[in-house]
Amino acid sequence: MTHLAVFLLSTLGFAGLALAMERHQEDLFGHALAATATRSLRMAGVAALLLALGVIVRAQGWGVGLVSFSGHTSLGAGLVFGVLIVIERTRPRQTARR
Amino acid sequence: MSIGAEPHPRGIRQTMSDLHIWAGLLTGWFLYAMFLTGTVSYFKDELSQWMRPELPHQAEVPDAAGVAQRIADELQKVASGSSQWGITLPDARNNVASAFWRVPGTEGRRAFQSATFDPATGHKVSSRETAGGDFFYRFHFQFHYMPVLWGRWLAGFCAMFMLVAIVSGVITHKKIFVDFFTFRWGKGQRSWLDAHNALSVFGLPFHAMITYTGLVTLMALYMPWGSQTAFKTPAERQQLTAELSAFIQPGKPSGQKAALAPVEEMVRQAQARWGHDNINRVTITHGGDAAARVSVSRGDQGRTSVSPQYMLFEGNTGRLLETKDHVGPAAETRGVMYALHLGRFGDGVTRWLYFIVSLAGTAMVGTGLVMWTVKRRQKLPDPDRPYFGFRVVERLNIAAIAGLSIAMAGMLWANRLLPTDLPDRAAWEIHSFFIVWGLMAVHAVLRPAKRAWLEQLWLATAALALLPLVNVFTTHRPLWRSLAEGDWVFAGVDGMLWALAALHAMLAIRTARHSTKVRPARRAAPLRPTPSSAGERA
Repeated sequence: MTHLAVFLLSTLGFAGLALAMERHQEDLFGHALAATATRSLRMAGVAALLLALGVIVRAQGWGVGLVSFSGHTSLGAGLVFGVLIVIERTRPRQTARR
Repeated sequence: MSIGAEPHPRGIRQTMSDLHIWAGLLTGWFLYAMFLTGTVSYFKDELSQWMRPELPHQAEVPDAAGVAQRIADELQKVASGSSQWGITLPDARNNVASAFWRVPGTEGRRAFQSATFDPATGHKVSSRETAGGDFFYRFHFQFHYMPVLWGRWLAGFCAMFMLVAIVSGVITHKKIFVDFFTFRWGKGQRSWLDAHNALSVFGLPFHAMITYTGLVTLMALYMPWGSQTAFKTPAERQQLTAELSAFIQPGKPSGQKAALAPVEEMVRQAQARWGHDNINRVTITHGGDAAARVSVSRGDQGRTSVSPQYMLFEGNTGRLLETKDHVGPAAETRGVMYALHLGRFGDGVTRWLYFIVSLAGTAMVGTGLVMWTVKRRQKLPDPDRPYFGFRVVERLNIAAIAGLSIAMAGMLWANRLLPTDLPDRAAWEIHSFFIVWGLMAVHAVLRPAKRAWLEQLWLATAALALLPLVNVFTTHRPLWRSLAEGDWVFAGVDGMLWALAALHAMLAIRTARHSTKVRPARRAAPLRPTPSSAGERA
């Protein structure tokens, strides 16, 4: 359970950080978001990652916890990366059909 | 002296980029093999179980104390008079007990013998002869067909280059944060670079850690001078060993015979201290002599350190002599780094994380190797007749990447198909691995590059996908039976083989598509051939 929570938090954290970047905002929404929205996304992303670290260290201690955290963040970032590719790959086709 | 002096000094990034490219290329093929076989080694115990199908699925971990007693009794018969027995007990991932012992009156490599034992009976296991997953594990740091020390030096050399490639790669990467999630699809070299960057950056903490700690595991070999200077007398050296390893070294035998006190009782004391299923080794020196010593050491579960923790008993009385549960700070630093590399402390989820991120590291090396050819193919004066160096890299890539998958699958095929009474069977499984790999290298040279990639990727797909079927026909443990009995080791290996087969099929399909899809696009932008369109014209 802890692992699942930490994995979800890491993924959400990186999703927040990705959405706080102008390039991906343009890809996903067609335009850049307002500065306040961007800032809150970035803050939320960082907060989720810190929370994930807190949860796993509480459950497993610093030694094992840091190792697990590193694994979950790598995987979470990779997942966000993959989802962004899939969204980008499927989107233009839909608009082209319309 | 200004030979070749350039008018403009090259920037640090360009210099680092060159360093990254050439350090990576020179050792890349070794690194790829080390990475992939090392990745698989995170499941070496499970693989070993799969490769010994005669041994029944272990539903629950047998009591360490009872097993230790049975193996010790057996060793008194098969290895009496030996100065040292080392027993590794079964655990949640390992269904056999194994032991090694020093053969009296021998030196060097032949000084040790080893065997695997059935925990339930204490007798030698009656399964096919195989090196199991241990082959991949050993290969990943010492290779094969060469003296062990040469292999380790070679591995260390490559790992050092890897470290250089990681540091120079980070410096070269211009926009590590801006491009963090960036992937530009279908842009040839650009796409390869984005993929290479993503695989490298997401797993960066792991890649740096695994390379550095890999060097630490063999640091005493690579840099022995410090300890040689500091520890001169045999007593000092023995003390050093005691800080690093739970295998207690044999002292002088008394010459008086004395029966060994119950090992079971000693293990019980250790179980009370470290947990019932958290005992992994028992070392006995001079069993049967009045000077016998028994050490019982703590398992790896839940501690990020491999520093020795053990209880030492007097062999003939069973009296507790010493409990060692900490080492000095320097030894502990090494212990932690070693444990980080092995990842044996973790639960199942942690092991999967290790495996997946390590697989990403393998792909990082693989994409790096392929990128070398992608980048240069655009600049070839005559794409039909690339220069010699280009062809060497291109062909080596095929054999090292696609060929290795086939070779590894080939070893599992050999495990299932070689007759069980074949002399030196375990060695022949390993020979099969290299024979298949060699054939793939020949194939890669003889066929046009694009065809060679496709054929080998499809062959790897078939070899992996058919293995669970071969398992159905050659053992009594088909997938449906494993699933019905809750044997997750067999079901897991079978499932993993299919997952890897799917991965290879995807790679093959993408490689095949590349040329057909991009051909019209290339006409529009003539100077942008695609990565794997290599041999399509050849």
